Amino acid sequence: MNADRSLPWDWFPGRIPTNVTLDPDAYVETTYSFQLCRSRRPDAVRIGRGASIYLGVMFDLGLHGKVAVGDFTLMNGSRIICDSEVSIGDYCLISWNTVLMDTRRIPLDVAARRRALEQFSERQPRQPDIDGSGRPIRIADKVWIGFDSCILPGVTVGEGSVVGARSVVDQDVPPFTIVAGNPARIIRKLDPDSPGGVDTSPRSPG
Amino acid sequence: MSDSPPSTGWSHGPLPANVRLGPNSLLTADYAFKRFLTQCDPGLVVGANCTLDGVHFAIGREGRVTIGDYCFFTNAVLLCELELRIGNYVVIGWNATIADTDFHPLAPAERVADAIACSPLGKGRPRPPIARKPVIIGDDVWIGPNATILKGVTIGTGALVEAGSLVTRDVPPGARVLGNPAQIIPLA
Repeated sequence: MNADRSLPWDWFPGRIPTNVTLDPDAYVETTYSFQLCRSRRPDAVRIGRGASIYLGVMFDLGLHGKVAVGDFTLMNGSRIICDSEVSIGDYCLISWNTVLMDTRRIPLDVAARRRALEQFSERQPRQPDIDGSGRPIRIADKVWIGFDSCILPGVTVGEGSVVGARSVVDQDVPPFTIVAGNPARIIRKLDPDSPGGVDTSPRSPG
Repeated sequence: MSDSPPSTGWSHGPLPANVRLGPNSLLTADYAFKRFLTQCDPGLVVGANCTLDGVHFAIGREGRVTIGDYCFFTNAVLLCELELRIGNYVVIGWNATIADTDFHPLAPAERVADAIACSPLGKGRPRPPIARKPVIIGDDVWIGPNATILKGVTIGTGALVEAGSLVTRDVPPGARVLGNPAQIIPLA
């Protein structure tokens, strides 16, 4: 990162926001990823040592949003929609077009939503902080999320688990578990101690 | 950096002649009308106080799209060959897709004829008839990111379509749907 918080290799004429903490050994491909980072928290985004944030990742943070990306985690085209807190552990692999959302961005009550949309249309510029609430999501260490998957508000994905491509995860995923499908269901368990990783014990489904 | 965007209208200059944009509605994205081929007038009607950010209007020759008041869409993809009717206070999330057609016929022989008609060698050859049915989205509907709505679907007032859902059948008013195919699941 340059002294003015721009990136020497960047195609976009932006800067890393001052409330984004970038480890000196992290890689961010473009500051375009922070175009929608509107959080006013001093610790809005933290990106860990050896983490890489490639093209297409979008930190879409509301005024109170907070995102932490762990060490050696690789992200490649995720949309992080965050009004409360999204935490991603170490050694995670997160594929393209994935959506990690801790909020629907709208009040569930229809009358409150109408009021919020009316106020939003008067805002200048139109920043979509329609509803500041959210249910935090947590991606533990060593999680692998396949492309086009969605993680819905309030979900925790346990350590070492795998979310198959195009899954929609609406419930917590236990540690060392493969889930897939829309809505996601458990496919099989992983064994963290076996070299191949697959749990071959009789209790394991699949 | 570019100049600050306008507060209303289209961020990229004059609108196509068959687009009606209501007062205080804002439309951004330079590619919004790259596939806007409709010959209908009006082909697109947007009500008042809408924010349509990064929306892709892929509207065929006979497509008509109407959008109500106070809608908020983020990078939605609207594919319309016949009719797409969206109510008031509708919110559509990032990369959600709505299509009122299958784009190609189902029967294999007709699909071959369609592939030839669509090819650079098919000049002037008519395409076979293709299924299309209007999509109707009621007031106060929320459609999550990465969701897909297919042809002929009516989504009732106040329904929630969760992120990543694929909606193939009508959704009753006030329901929450999730999954592929989308099923009604009570709010947790």
